[in-house]
Amino acid sequence: MKVAVIQFPGTNCEHETLVAARSAGLAGEIFRWNRPAEELTEFDGYIIPGGFSYQDRLRAGAIASKEPVMDALREEAERGKPIIGICNGFQILTESGLLPGLGGVDVALASNVMVSKGEIVRRGFYCAWTTLRCETPARRCSGSFILDKGDLVSMPLAHAEGNLVTADEDLMERLNEEDQIVFRYCDEGGNVEREFPVNVNGSRENIAGICNPEGNVLGLMPHPERSSFAWQLPPTDSAKSAGDMTAPGPGRRIFESMKRYIEVMR
Amino acid sequence: MRIIGLNDREVEAGLRSVGLGLTVSEARSVAEALGRDPTVPELFNYDTMWSEHCSYKSSRATLNEFLHTEGPNVVQGPEEDAGIVAIDDEWCVVIAHESHNHPSQILPNEGAATGIGGIVRDVNCMGAKVVATADPLRFGDPYGEDKNHVRWVAEGVVDGIWQYGNALGVPIIAGDVVFDDSFDSNCLVNVVAVGVVKRGEIIKSRAPAGAGEKGYDVIVVGKPTDSSGFGGVTFASEELREEDEEANRGAIQIPDPFLKNVLFKANEALFKLTRDEGIVIGFKDLGGGGFTCASSEMGASAGYGMDLDLDLLHKASEDLPPEVVACAETQERFMLICPPELTPRALKIYNEDWDLPNVYEGARASVVGKVTTDGRYITRYRGIVTCDISIEHLTRGIRYEREERPRVIDLEEPEIAAPEDLSEVLLKVLASPNVSSREHIYRYYDTEVQGNTVIRPGEADAGLIAPVRGEKFGIALSVDANPFYGRISPYWAGATAVAEAMRNVAAIGAYPATLTDCLNFGNPEKPEAFWEFRECVRGLADAAKALWLKGYEDTPVPIVSGNVSFYNESPDGAVDPSPIIACVGLIDDVRDAVTMELKKAGDSVYLIGPRFDELGGSEYYRTVHGVTGKNVPIVRFELERNMIYAVIDSIAEKLVVAAHDISNGGLGATAAEMALAGRAGLGLELDLDAAGSDLSADRLIFSESSGFLLECREGAEEELETLLKGYGLDIMKLGNVTSSPELFMNHKGNTVVRMDLSAAKKAWTAGLSEAMR
Repeated sequence: MKVAVIQFPGTNCEHETLVAARSAGLAGEIFRWNRPAEELTEFDGYIIPGGFSYQDRLRAGAIASKEPVMDALREEAERGKPIIGICNGFQILTESGLLPGLGGVDVALASNVMVSKGEIVRRGFYCAWTTLRCETPARRCSGSFILDKGDLVSMPLAHAEGNLVTADEDLMERLNEEDQIVFRYCDEGGNVEREFPVNVNGSRENIAGICNPEGNVLGLMPHPERSSFAWQLPPTDSAKSAGDMTAPGPGRRIFESMKRYIEVMR
Repeated sequence: MRIIGLNDREVEAGLRSVGLGLTVSEARSVAEALGRDPTVPELFNYDTMWSEHCSYKSSRATLNEFLHTEGPNVVQGPEEDAGIVAIDDEWCVVIAHESHNHPSQILPNEGAATGIGGIVRDVNCMGAKVVATADPLRFGDPYGEDKNHVRWVAEGVVDGIWQYGNALGVPIIAGDVVFDDSFDSNCLVNVVAVGVVKRGEIIKSRAPAGAGEKGYDVIVVGKPTDSSGFGGVTFASEELREEDEEANRGAIQIPDPFLKNVLFKANEALFKLTRDEGIVIGFKDLGGGGFTCASSEMGASAGYGMDLDLDLLHKASEDLPPEVVACAETQERFMLICPPELTPRALKIYNEDWDLPNVYEGARASVVGKVTTDGRYITRYRGIVTCDISIEHLTRGIRYEREERPRVIDLEEPEIAAPEDLSEVLLKVLASPNVSSREHIYRYYDTEVQGNTVIRPGEADAGLIAPVRGEKFGIALSVDANPFYGRISPYWAGATAVAEAMRNVAAIGAYPATLTDCLNFGNPEKPEAFWEFRECVRGLADAAKALWLKGYEDTPVPIVSGNVSFYNESPDGAVDPSPIIACVGLIDDVRDAVTMELKKAGDSVYLIGPRFDELGGSEYYRTVHGVTGKNVPIVRFELERNMIYAVIDSIAEKLVVAAHDISNGGLGATAAEMALAGRAGLGLELDLDAAGSDLSADRLIFSESSGFLLECREGAEEELETLLKGYGLDIMKLGNVTSSPELFMNHKGNTVVRMDLSAAKKAWTAGLSEAMR
């Protein structure tokens, strides 16, 4: 099972993302954006890692979403192969319409705005550990394939534009009904508090990650690759110093999900 | 330009009319060495290379006199763009440390961003992967006369750092921020970058052996040269005056982290190719002094000359004069020297694989000339020779013997009555902009990118990364300097900065492996400022020498990199002497490192380091009593060494589960921070009488004498005490971790501090965000 980690100019998380995928038992390589796109067909899955592709010119993800490599990825997605977009990768997937996958560019990841007790308390880039609550049953989505509804997964986030917005009010209902909302920001006990710091960027309904209707394409703002080893955890987590340097962190379950999805679907 | 035969006034007028900073005597010495009148481009080359920034003309003698740059672990001292020390037999850590003070005062965002941009190039060009940065910052008084301007600068600098560093993809794992009115019109923005490289894969910033004889190609890679940053090093070597602000803006470079990110990846591909094929190249960043500085230093340091054609260099416009092409400080550029047979493949990596011309308008790699054997530095432009000078004469620079005179420091210890309610006082100290939580700033920084981060800002006294996957070793990083101590005693400011930076890495269990110094002072042409500089260097060198490299008796911790920044001065005066020290610590296994937050109720808490009447420059004196005082904390070298190594050993032996060093805010702030850093629910009950001192309670709590607080692992008390005694340290068991979120301090039978930690957390967290609002 081999995955391609797509590298655009300005991507900056490709190496650790590949390491994390490998720790989950996936083989893979980094795939530079201007390689012949037809070479993508030989991979079983795709990860679009974080960074600042094309300098976030115009809007985060907007330029990369127009690259030929994205057309190739769209074809692979239609074949049911899994694609996971992390942070800037999520932004690229929304700009390309692959997410929420309803035919257009239906959501955007806008500038963070942190609201507490009705007041804006902060704006801009924010880096912190967060807890995600899985909102969908197991097997619903490639990147949460082995996670059950209600499972909690902690990992860091680091972005300035992760505030999911939409102009289409019916869309939220549809995403909820179709189980396309995969992850929500919550506190350590699993409570989805609507205000900062639990809702860390102002995102609608605390949304941290969504999938397409078919479930093979997932985008999420937080970084599972930065939480794939126990030693990466915050010091208040007792698992941090347990086991050796290969001991898993919670984020690895995203990559293990992808692996399991590939095993089951092919 | 005519110099020979003109009088001083005429020469001066000629130099200034074209914007040269050279003095008349410097210009005359150039003409004398050439035996003719120099061309304008030649004078600009000398202006650049003989600037304080490039030549260290005032500081070199002092640095050579005091600093220890060698050691058993040193792979490369300060002779190139970055210093290198060994981690083990295979891996090395690369470190560089610079200032970007003047640009950041004028254009905070761009100034700070290009500061990071420059320092990461210094590390990358050694063949290293850049794995961490740190940012020591000094701003003016956020509640003083210039508060609005100060806050504008502070916000712009922090924005510049995150906008650049985060996009580049290098985690910011350490830093500090101090507010002090001496920085009102001259902020300090220092930047530290750390990289890793295998010992056999270090790339030198010089022409390789044989380059002249075999006519190696000189290639410039990156952004098209424009006029940005022209005069940058000269601007850095003068005092800041308001009326020059407009002109100075043009001397600030324009940052581009996106292009840098792509260049780093292309460089990585180039380095891999040269490693695989065993080809030796020279590689250097184009920083201060631009093309002239990089090309002349790369040639001269190998004993070669250079023959360069500025027409071949890719430029943003074709109407730039030759001196601008040569001396502009356009960002995101590197220089490569390689054998001609490598050239086509090197060009392909940049221009095709990484597609620079399409990724960024006008960016590419261009061959611009050849290395020669004749020792001449020749540049041509539009068919004429614009510069033909001795490369050695240009790069050797000049030396000044500056006069020094001790500054009269008229400070007294205040006579104060101890306040009755020390809980209120401690709360005030915790909420002060210099002690409060740094969270407001570090949440803007991507501290996690690269996925190597083990300890983040706010979790301990130093940041820690595991930079090589598959290896267990960690690199710790901390920065330190206290300007208020500098105001009282430059010597002790230097020494305490070294000691604290070392304590910071020791507090997580790492041993100090190397230091860097970024020395920020006023105008060295003023004897008092030069004296402050010399005193600081003497103090920091004495501390580095006396605190020893672990495992090597009588061997200084080496200082492998650094920077001198003079002219941090405006008509309002100079900045407080600021010898900012960075310390790299190493630990064999990152999982053995400890953080500062309290771990478990019932654990014993030990004080390491006796309290002395040392409140000069303290947070308590300034915040509560509005005075500076005189009794500055000093470093008792043997005691300090024993404390540092006892803490490292006790963590290595797993006797200690939390540690935090004592610095500004004293014992009181240290204890509170250990309780505030973790999850709510734990507190402390401490008995100050166990400190074995007859000082009054306020002095015990707020003295900034060096030391640590340690939380002992349950059941390891006896072992810890034996270890401490083995280092000749007093046993001062102050108390215990409690299961209620309160901090108690008792003194002579009275409870002198009783603090609700949830209320304290609000004040502690708000202190910095309020100051930067």
